[in-house]
Amino acid sequence: MNVIRGFATTFKHLLEEPTTLNYPEQVRPFQERFKGRHHLRRYDNGLEKCIGCALCAAACPADAIWVEAAENTDEERYSPGERYAKTYEINMLRCIFCGYCEDACPTQAIELGHEHRMSFTDRRDAIYTKQMLIDPVPEGGRETPQEVEPGVFTRPIPDMENPL
Amino acid sequence: MAEQKLVTITIDGKAYQVPAGENLVDAARNHADNQIPVFCYHPKMAPVGMCRMCLVEMGTPERDPNTREIVHDEDGNVKVRWMPKLQTACTQTVSDGMYIRTTTDQVADARNNVLEFLLTSHPLDCPVCDKGGECALQDLTMAHGPGKTRMVFSEKMHLDKIVPLGDLIVLDEERCIQCARCIRFQDEIVGDDVLAFHERGRTLRIITKSDPGFDTYFSGNTTDICPVGALTTVDFRFGARPWEMTSVPSIDPWDAAGSNISLDMRLDRDFGGRAMIKRVMPRQNEWVNEIWISDKVRFGHHFTRAEERICAPLLRNNGNLNEVSWTEALDTVAGVLKAANGDIGLIVGSGASNEDLWALRQVVNGLGSERLGAWPVTHTGGELIAQVGVGKGTNLGKLGKGDVVLIVASDIEEEVPIWRLRIKQAHDRGAAVIVANARKTRMDDFASHTFRYEAGKAAHWLADLKKSAPEAAEAVKSAANLIILTGAEGLTLEGHAALMQAAANLLIETGHVGKPNNGLLSTFPGANGVGQYYLGYTPEQSVAMAAKPPKVLLVAQADMLADDPSVAAWLDKVETIISFSMLPDGITAKFAKVVLPIQSFAERDGTFTNGERRVQRFYTAQGPMGWSLPLWQIANRLGEKLGQGKAKLSAAAVMKEIAASVPAFEGMDYRALSKVEKQYPDVGGASDSYYYSGTACKNTGGLGVVIPTAADKGETVKAGEVKLPAVPKAGKGEFVIIPSTRLYNREAQFKLSTVVHPRVMVPFAEINSADAAKLGITSGDVVQISANGGSVRVRANVNGGAPEGSVVLPRHLTDEPVPMAITVGQVSKV
Repeated sequence: MNVIRGFATTFKHLLEEPTTLNYPEQVRPFQERFKGRHHLRRYDNGLEKCIGCALCAAACPADAIWVEAAENTDEERYSPGERYAKTYEINMLRCIFCGYCEDACPTQAIELGHEHRMSFTDRRDAIYTKQMLIDPVPEGGRETPQEVEPGVFTRPIPDMENPL
Repeated sequence: MAEQKLVTITIDGKAYQVPAGENLVDAARNHADNQIPVFCYHPKMAPVGMCRMCLVEMGTPERDPNTREIVHDEDGNVKVRWMPKLQTACTQTVSDGMYIRTTTDQVADARNNVLEFLLTSHPLDCPVCDKGGECALQDLTMAHGPGKTRMVFSEKMHLDKIVPLGDLIVLDEERCIQCARCIRFQDEIVGDDVLAFHERGRTLRIITKSDPGFDTYFSGNTTDICPVGALTTVDFRFGARPWEMTSVPSIDPWDAAGSNISLDMRLDRDFGGRAMIKRVMPRQNEWVNEIWISDKVRFGHHFTRAEERICAPLLRNNGNLNEVSWTEALDTVAGVLKAANGDIGLIVGSGASNEDLWALRQVVNGLGSERLGAWPVTHTGGELIAQVGVGKGTNLGKLGKGDVVLIVASDIEEEVPIWRLRIKQAHDRGAAVIVANARKTRMDDFASHTFRYEAGKAAHWLADLKKSAPEAAEAVKSAANLIILTGAEGLTLEGHAALMQAAANLLIETGHVGKPNNGLLSTFPGANGVGQYYLGYTPEQSVAMAAKPPKVLLVAQADMLADDPSVAAWLDKVETIISFSMLPDGITAKFAKVVLPIQSFAERDGTFTNGERRVQRFYTAQGPMGWSLPLWQIANRLGEKLGQGKAKLSAAAVMKEIAASVPAFEGMDYRALSKVEKQYPDVGGASDSYYYSGTACKNTGGLGVVIPTAADKGETVKAGEVKLPAVPKAGKGEFVIIPSTRLYNREAQFKLSTVVHPRVMVPFAEINSADAAKLGITSGDVVQISANGGSVRVRANVNGGAPEGSVVLPRHLTDEPVPMAITVGQVSKV
């Protein structure tokens, strides 16, 4: 009798859908709040949201973020505020993907996305630079640095709406 | 000092004994560890009670109207009659029986309300603000302010964000909380009254009244004492967040004041990911610079990491300098030195540390030469400083009523700005400041008496003070304390020697030696001009070398060709020149056979002896540039090659040897030099990061040790003979050339600080109006001035700054050298 019951279980599972996926051809959908690699966001007009305040670096428990700031001018404008990140680097070998940087960011410039497939053959490659982290310029936007009209961006920290 | 009278005050129910007359805020901090919050009050300035942050409850014990006895309540406690309204603590001095409450609801409420009011128009810039993280407004809001805002952000007052106040300081009008600290600093402490409030009420803002804007040598200090981020420096703007930087104690490398500074370091990609100086901040040393530094110190740090720096040893082959290894370079130098048979000279600039001077001297002495020249050859009389220099325990900040400061032949604002600032304050406290010079200088504005003498005749004037200036002689005689400060402006080396002797004689005659706040000071050039004397280097030796050039000359950290046109001629006669240099200069370009790259003050540790003979330590902050080495180490390695013993491993070991060998430095190992003690006004306390709501200037690197003078040690000092020198006389068609000093100039090191370039004067010369009329020159004309075998083209400045028959020619403004001592020359219109 036990033998029959055992085989019944086996045959039942033969007919069921497999629970494993054919990774990497197939990818399981992510939880919305999954914390993957960071993205530096842009406004719709292409300006960078990051104002180079380095609060992410200060909040980082793993000391993975390195920010160097510089001053915007109307001739060469990167972000709507007074200051922008001249250098923005994240050492992905150090990062523990806790998302504290996201919490610390006053302009919601840094967000942890869903990208998690990162592999390196060299330690130096693990340092993601600003060019690697920043989103592409959205349609209708312009690449930074932008030359803008004087007197438009006068606030040190921009309002969080899309400028213009 | 008289015993200080103590009074009893009661703060929050606890009685404290505090010195009478102390400010209540200071007393609470120093004795009761009660940090009454302040914005406008600063212990270095008179209280104004503008910000209302320091409100406290104040009362006096109730007394019986009939018996005048203090009334007690049923529990036996003193019945206090509290004032109906809160009082500003900063405008109160402590008095006996004063009662203070700082923790009541009324006080907490007041603080809360003051902060809320300040924040009504304060922008939320904290993430991008340079002060964010070391901001008093941030921290006091956290401690005492409202947790939530009742304001609508979009309704905040918007003012201009980037308002340049001059070329170095930028004002953010929105962030300003109108405490007027910067205005009061400029007015009260510096005496350059260049800032002011403009308009009233909500549009009240700070403006600069001067042209060019913010025209002062001390502007950077306003950014330190600013309790918010309203004032930022062009140099540091957005450079780093305060918490990212590491402060390394260091010493001002430019002048005899030896201001204590901190080098705030942070890694930077632009500097190859290495630590670089982000900003220079003052470090509290109440004996030396209090908490102030000049803008030259603050902004002149760029040479330490300049691309121009020599990064490898260079050897001349067929006229070209080629990079070689240290081994090859040192072998070559050792070979040259051995072959010289002791006919070796050494000239060291005034920027070299005590360790460098000692180590180089060992090498040269070991080869049988005693020719140790100090450079530049403007100031002398080190032996008199060692005899009757300002007494141990001298503090310019303690001079006051009854004291006299006699300044002769110095444009002290340009030469040692910190001394000028502190003597100006002594004048404000009632000290008589007597200024004597051949021409008008800035210090005249802060002088009780000014005197003029004929160009070059400073010693004549001082030696015969009774006749030449009876008033001054009288003041000097009756002075409680007397400091005589000499410069070398408009003097030859002999002229300065005579002036120093005359000054020493006057001090000895009037008995003003061997006591604190009494004695002789001189504006020796560079950071270690006095150290040179103590380690055996004299300018007279340099002069002797010019007369009889040695076969091999070692030139260390001295840009000799930029100092005088006549130098090139005698350097030509030297067979081999070895240069120890940080930057390419005239010697490395044409003369040197070997160039050995040395490190700047930021890359190494060492000690400087300042003008007041205080030996002070500076620490390693920055990594070395290329293959450069500290000067003492190069000398040590060279000594090793020459068989003079093993090279020392650290600067500390060199200093230990100095302490053991040179009596003046007895006991001065690095541990003794890095001792700190509590200073007042106190930086520390509950919060280390603030100095009364300004940026902290905490001293962790040491206060230094003063070398005692002979008079300090109780030895009898005797007046000497003043050898009055001949004064250059201008013949027909000639002028007396008086070289002067400018703080901002085009010296090889300083010109690499591009932020200061807008403040450096176009090369000029001051010409007397009578002479100008004769030559048909007006202000702005280009004139050619020829003297000492060189000639320069500069703009004429006819504004009464030069005495008739002479031309005041600032040094180091032109690319070509101008004379460093008084001489005669021709002037012609171009």
